[in-house]
Amino acid sequence: MSGTPPRPPTGADEDFFRRLKVLVVEDSAEMRRLLVALLETMGVTRIVVARDGEKGLAAFAAERPDIIVTDGAMTPMDGYEMTRAIRSSAGGDGANPEVPILMISGHVGRAEVTHARDQGVTDYLAKPLSAETLYKAIVAAVSKPIHFVERPGYRGPSPKRSLDAKRS
Amino acid sequence: MLERRSPSKLAGKEATETPPPTDVRFVRVPSIAERKLGNDYVAPMRLDPRVLAQMQTTIRDLETKYAESLKSQVAMLQILVEPSCKGDPDARRRLYALAHDMRGLAGTFGHAIVGQFADSLCRYIENLQTGDWNDGTVVTFHVDAIRDALENPGTDPAVTVETLNALDRLIGSGRHQRTAG
Repeated sequence: MSGTPPRPPTGADEDFFRRLKVLVVEDSAEMRRLLVALLETMGVTRIVVARDGEKGLAAFAAERPDIIVTDGAMTPMDGYEMTRAIRSSAGGDGANPEVPILMISGHVGRAEVTHARDQGVTDYLAKPLSAETLYKAIVAAVSKPIHFVERPGYRGPSPKRSLDAKRS
Repeated sequence: MLERRSPSKLAGKEATETPPPTDVRFVRVPSIAERKLGNDYVAPMRLDPRVLAQMQTTIRDLETKYAESLKSQVAMLQILVEPSCKGDPDARRRLYALAHDMRGLAGTFGHAIVGQFADSLCRYIENLQTGDWNDGTVVTFHVDAIRDALENPGTDPAVTVETLNALDRLIGSGRHQRTAG
């Protein structure tokens, strides 16, 4: 019988979140303010903000975030296209193409969620968003091992997996 | 530190039913927490109820600021109805953008009914033919419902449901007329 006591679960505490760099891609100023405030409350201090998918893609390469929280519908590049571009990127500059991507969207129809999944999003959260939904999704996204499928024309989380919009 | 495995070991049922093409690879990458915490990391990571409570307080703190912003957004919606229905594309774009913002945020800040009416308006606009804007009845009724919900937050939920149903019937009636015509 081993005398080593089981180790307690790691706390999703401020010390951990201080080490995270989060990229927020959102075109609504109000939503950006909300997301940044919630992330700061979680203890995240390294937050990069971009206003659309194109700027988000540039920030992904330049800032190498640990996790991305993105809106779906944006112009000129939306969150779906940005996700696909990130998954397809080589990551040679150190940016991580396997980075967890949480999409937050008011479009919660089956077609939109399936489209998001097929572009490679990690999780899909419905607007309006609650603190609990965001917190749980971020903790799950950063603590679960990342399983990717690579095949010609696609790289990302399995497109066969079931993905539903998480509602608050 | 990538760990690459043959498809059969990870694909489970999928692999036994239909053998995947040989050019498919399954890759397991360590989680972000494993990378950041190294040997200190023990799964599963637990949620901290104190952090969640603080996040809820943060939302409450932002509610006042959002309420002011929502009030001006609703006023702007009312201004935009007429030019939108007269064919101004910029007014239509701005009207949809405002409704889309309300759909996404109003519920988070305690204005769930405003959010529901905004959602109904967004869905209507998303399915509109360009010419449908000319009859502004549905858009006007939605904007009025949003304004009423903001001004009378304690409205009986049954009235809200009935109003949403009435708006649905109005939208359906427009579609029916187009089909019949």
